[in-house]
Amino acid sequence: MLRTGPAKKVTVYVIEGQTYHGTAGYAAILDYLFFRGISDATVTRGIAGFGTDHKLHTSRLVELSDQMPIKIEFIETPERVQEVLPKLSEIASKGLIEVHDTNVIRPIPPGEKQAPAPPPVKLEAKAKMMRILIGEHDSWHGRPLYEALVQALRANDVAGVTVYRGILGYGANRRIHKESPLHLSHDAPILLTVVDQEEKLRAIVPVLDDMVQQGIVVLSDVDVIKYSHGQPLPEMQEKEK
Amino acid sequence: MKLEGKAKMLRIHFGEDDQWHGQPLYQAIVERCRQLDIAGATVYRGIQGYGASTRIRRSHLLSFSSDAPVLVQIIDSEENINRLIPALDEMVSEGLIAMSDVEVIRYVHQGGEHPQQ
Repeated sequence: MLRTGPAKKVTVYVIEGQTYHGTAGYAAILDYLFFRGISDATVTRGIAGFGTDHKLHTSRLVELSDQMPIKIEFIETPERVQEVLPKLSEIASKGLIEVHDTNVIRPIPPGEKQAPAPPPVKLEAKAKMMRILIGEHDSWHGRPLYEALVQALRANDVAGVTVYRGILGYGANRRIHKESPLHLSHDAPILLTVVDQEEKLRAIVPVLDDMVQQGIVVLSDVDVIKYSHGQPLPEMQEKEK
Repeated sequence: MKLEGKAKMLRIHFGEDDQWHGQPLYQAIVERCRQLDIAGATVYRGIQGYGASTRIRRSHLLSFSSDAPVLVQIIDSEENINRLIPALDEMVSEGLIAMSDVEVIRYVHQGGEHPQQ
């Protein structure tokens, strides 16, 4: 957040028609600043101007209207400015970038949304990801296997599971699973991903042995970076200590 | 075919509209995997994303020509995955291929009459 006192004012000049990976350059800069949490930024479109090429661009010539100068301005602390400058010069490519010293007399009061919410809890820990690959038609006691697995994992206090449906694939039996608009009852490949502590996942392997008659179950290392507004999970807290 | 213990997982990200010799690239990759006796391959369609070209890919309900992000996931032994990589290098011109370590917990199939390696 910007406070009263010395700060930097950054001005970036680009041409309206300049693009960065398929989007307008100024829009890319604005998006970048927005998601980096810069307090505010303003885009101004010039009505006439000339650059290093010494060609005069004016809005009177309709065919040249994508050559209009665009100015993006923002004010931030010197540290934040240093942080974003490298990426800005990359996006602006040939555009001019200048940094002025400035003084903030009265900072903008923080927006409404910043006031109430407490900062989210961030947890980082080592964990395991389990992937279970089965078919959509696989069943267990008369119901879809993936549904039964979700219930079983939930009953065993596993932190969370997500089910994905694939559009094409083959597995152990070399039977092609394919999605086709003409077949309402296609046997699509199903993937369940589960992330939790290794012990938890190892503990449910015997359950899976009973349920998964056909398919593959693999385990891999993941780093959990969790944001949550609620209370951290007890086992995660232990891991933190 | 046996698969146990340490294995590799390959994930290939590209667009649904990408083509290889006139057929969808994801289909071509799955077929190539079968030819090379890779244990399995699955294709998933994402609903939104962006990738190598930094274009937002999104699947539209109303348009049939949606370039949705597509993920092909393959799990096999390191040796088999290494056999597959040169083929992928040739086929995937724009996209991302990532490999990671996995541990196979369970690999079961019934009856499989597939050719042995």
